[in-house]
Amino acid sequence: MSRKQLDTSLLGLAALIAFGLPLVVTSPTYLQILILLFFYAYLTTSWNLVGGFAGVLPLGHSVFVGIGAYTSTILTLQYGVSPWIGMLVGGLLAALVGVIIGLPTFRLRGAYFCLCTIAFAEGIRVMVENIDSLGPLKINGPRGLLIPLKEPSFWHYQFMSKLPYYYIILTLLILVLALTWFISRSKIGYYLAAGGEEPEAATALGVNVANCKLLAMALSCFFTALAGTFYAQLMLYFYPKGLMGLDLSFEIAFIALIGGRGTIAGPVIGALVLRPLNEFTRIYLSDMLPGLHLVIFGLILILVMLYKPQGLTAPLAAAYDKLARKITRAPNAKGAAA
Amino acid sequence: MTAVIQATLNGIMMGSMYGLTALGLTLIFGVMKVINFAHGSLLMVGMFSAYWLIKLTGIHPYLALLIVPPVLYVFGYYLQDVVIKPVFKAERQTREPATVIIVTTGVWYVLDNLSLMLFGAEYRTVRTAISNKSMALGPYILSIPKFSGFVIAVLATIGLALFMRKTKIGMALRATALDREAANLMGIDQYKVYNIAFGLGTAIAGIAGCVLIPFYYVYPSVGVVFDIRAFIIVVLGGLGSIPGALLGGLVIGLIESVFSQFMASTWTEAIIYAIFLIILFVKPSGFFGNKQDW
Repeated sequence: MSRKQLDTSLLGLAALIAFGLPLVVTSPTYLQILILLFFYAYLTTSWNLVGGFAGVLPLGHSVFVGIGAYTSTILTLQYGVSPWIGMLVGGLLAALVGVIIGLPTFRLRGAYFCLCTIAFAEGIRVMVENIDSLGPLKINGPRGLLIPLKEPSFWHYQFMSKLPYYYIILTLLILVLALTWFISRSKIGYYLAAGGEEPEAATALGVNVANCKLLAMALSCFFTALAGTFYAQLMLYFYPKGLMGLDLSFEIAFIALIGGRGTIAGPVIGALVLRPLNEFTRIYLSDMLPGLHLVIFGLILILVMLYKPQGLTAPLAAAYDKLARKITRAPNAKGAAA
Repeated sequence: MTAVIQATLNGIMMGSMYGLTALGLTLIFGVMKVINFAHGSLLMVGMFSAYWLIKLTGIHPYLALLIVPPVLYVFGYYLQDVVIKPVFKAERQTREPATVIIVTTGVWYVLDNLSLMLFGAEYRTVRTAISNKSMALGPYILSIPKFSGFVIAVLATIGLALFMRKTKIGMALRATALDREAANLMGIDQYKVYNIAFGLGTAIAGIAGCVLIPFYYVYPSVGVVFDIRAFIIVVLGGLGSIPGALLGGLVIGLIESVFSQFMASTWTEAIIYAIFLIILFVKPSGFFGNKQDW
């Protein structure tokens, strides 16, 4: 078996498992945990487009989740537009907002960009919490928006069981992973990597670093907003503090850094590690002692950064590479898992 | 008009507290080029230390100033030495390593939730000798603990600025802040300087804790309130600038206090963010920032 065949068949196996998992996992509770796992993997993969490849550290991505959720929900509630269309509108709006933030901030050093994204996200959240209605649009302040139950149908983005949600988020995840793979292999990907590490050198070589970063930001914000609509339709209720708070923004960054920022598989691996950890420690430990599960979470975060500052993907990819070489006996094959 | 002047006075005094918090943050950033997301938690540690010291021994809150900041200096020194330094060493090549930011966030989670586990979520206040004292200044009222807090914040800022200019350690800190490779070549141990900077920043959080306790309540996530404001203040004043931190704090305190005379106080928060973003877009170096930092 050649290395390429091995990679493809393993990838196919992973896809098969992902698509077949609901046949085994029938409990709605566990299915919900899986859906949220993919939701976070998707969010982090979207974040990774700018946070990983463009070499900046955005810590306010929850605002784009918020833009997605509010746009589609307001359009549905007040104008009867299908959430699917609202999802695209929200995505485009988020991309526009992302470009507007990126224009002045990408020329600043990392710390300034980081603080700027936090301030922007928090500022928008505080504003949403203060506004009951904006012209004809009902925003409902801190109480958030409730989506009434409708007849379950694809067009209404509401379903009887959790299963369709599972496949929607899985499809979205595969889509954005494919896009990441495509970008990492394209000219833009190389430009971004160069601009992230050595902006001055890349600019001197004629790379338009700023434009590449803006493109990455727009794509990242667009896909992040799609997740907002998904979340709104899954939960049928959301409020600013829960949806647009800093907690979500930080969790996305944690998943990315623990998994491996700037790698394709990193966000998925990070979500596979952190989400179950988060869910189960919360379920089993938070009754014992409030705060204990977050202490453990923080400690794991510190330990991974101490021992694997590049995240978990790099050592995993190396181990896979070693194993694959044994199987295929092709010593110079390059790892595709990373 | 009286109300506005009174609000101005209150704003200046509360702003000096924000400035004191931002002072430690800006020192750590200036030297290490890393945003310390655990800074609010360090303030929380300072506040709880002062709280328990005063509660258990009943000493005057300003005597705690002699005890809490040195203890927090040691705490910060070893926190940086044990937890943060190894990550720095692993990412030597990066100018602003994101992993270090994430590690400070981990420290934040651990400290906040440890104190939640130990002390519970309730808001605590301690009655001190000066807690409810105030003095009249014409038609205006000055709360004694807040006013002395203001004085201490100004003194701490001047003290830190002098320390940075006049002492050898201060000069080593400034040299590392300017160019860590060059400082290394001059025989300055970069990581020891980081330990000292982090220790000093934590000690300042300890000063802020002692000063806040007589009139403010403490709870495990109290740091978050000050954290976000401190981030805004350090950019407003110029990341790494010592006088900028105090001035930025005063500005934020003033805006908060004066604007809340005219609108709902929740809106003032949105206005602070808006002003912050405008400053970032128009003059990212803030009042006294270093051009090479942005």
